[in-house]
Amino acid sequence: MSWEIQSLLLVWGTLVGIDLVTVPQAMIARPLVAGAVAGALVGDLGTGLRIGVLFELLQHDILHLGAARYPEYGPATVGAVSAAHAASGALGLGLGAVVGLLTGLLGGVSMTAVRRLNTRAVHRAAPALEAGDVNTLVRLHVTSLLRDGARAACVTAIGLGLAAGVRWYLVGTLTTRGAIVVAAAAVGAALAAGTAGVVRLVGRGPNLGWFAAGLLGGVAGAWLR
Amino acid sequence: MAQVKPPFGRVLLRLFTVQASWNYERMQGVGFGVAEEPFLRELPGGQPTAEYRAALARGAHFFNAHPYLCGLAVGAAARAEFDGASPQEVERLRTALCGPLGSLGDRLVWAAWLPFASGLALIGVGLGLGWTAIVGFLLLYNAVHVALRWWALRAGWAYGTRVATALRQPFLQRAEAALGPGMALAMGAALPLAAGYLGGPFSSWGRATVAGVATIGFVLLRWRGLRVTGFRFGLSAAAVALVTAWVWR
Repeated sequence: MSWEIQSLLLVWGTLVGIDLVTVPQAMIARPLVAGAVAGALVGDLGTGLRIGVLFELLQHDILHLGAARYPEYGPATVGAVSAAHAASGALGLGLGAVVGLLTGLLGGVSMTAVRRLNTRAVHRAAPALEAGDVNTLVRLHVTSLLRDGARAACVTAIGLGLAAGVRWYLVGTLTTRGAIVVAAAAVGAALAAGTAGVVRLVGRGPNLGWFAAGLLGGVAGAWLR
Repeated sequence: MAQVKPPFGRVLLRLFTVQASWNYERMQGVGFGVAEEPFLRELPGGQPTAEYRAALARGAHFFNAHPYLCGLAVGAAARAEFDGASPQEVERLRTALCGPLGSLGDRLVWAAWLPFASGLALIGVGLGLGWTAIVGFLLLYNAVHVALRWWALRAGWAYGTRVATALRQPFLQRAEAALGPGMALAMGAALPLAAGYLGGPFSSWGRATVAGVATIGFVLLRWRGLRVTGFRFGLSAAAVALVTAWVWR
């Protein structure tokens, strides 16, 4: 993969990373969007969409409630697409899932670390904030924004590095049968996570009937395709 | 209150960054202060006054709510400052709004509108719409997202300390009532289509493995005592699969 494409993926992953919490929360951080654009950048929309769907399902297990801690799947999806692009079909899906899950873990940890750094900075600036100093307030805010941008760039870069490592090491090492096992495990886990998340959201109330109706419609649609 | 032209545009733009400085001490407080600041510049006397600095310091105190509805509190707090409310009243207003705005936003957006829009996008991708599904998702989701932020800011400014009235708007209750079934229907349809889409490249035994892992995972995730999350299960399943692939050559 050329340096130009890697750079574009890095920029895209950074934008995706800051969208999740910092600005503007327009949902380009959703794996479906992040994956599709990353796929288009590497010239493989199909792989981007497939990886996007996989991580979108995993994302449905997460509710962004309050100050909850969760893995970050946006930049992870960008790294996953970069890894998956190296191999077609099930093999690509499996490699992408491994890279994406590890990068997602790192993303979640890094968000907590940035929030701690923000807390320290706010604590230090407390006297100026209490005095109503607008310059301190704005500087604090802009610095935090840049800090999250640097974090997102680092996470994406590590994800892309992992993807390069996986492409170099695993593609020639795994047998087709082994690759299918890895991919099947990842897809199965994503389906389990997505279903469990949605069932939790739907609950046992009146929405359960609507969910069942949707399920029937979806099964019919999948069967007809 | 003196006649002022509220700088809604500038405040709205800043509200998009309200969580940029999120921290464990003041949570969204610093972002709240940054967003409210253009309003406060319009206070009598402007920036150099002690009133401006005191109001700005209050604006940056602890606050946490749903980011899309933060504007309601920003508008209401700024309006209260303009209406000459006491510092204690402004602080009480901000504190009182944290819970309701957080709860309403979580129910309306994170638990209903977002999964509904995501479900539609998954259905679109599953049916082979590709880009159309992705662009449609972004447009649909953000039309409501931006409208909600805009409404919240305007309503907060319009109602001031009586902002609780804005939260009882019938359209909010109707939206919540309609989005629950809509989300359940869309996500119900999306799951089998996503399974079919992801299962495409697999042979029959590969699909059987997918079904087996999905079933085990679903049971483990529903078994609350185990404290398993989708992420942990995914990571464990991938690790076990990698070892299996290594051994079974």
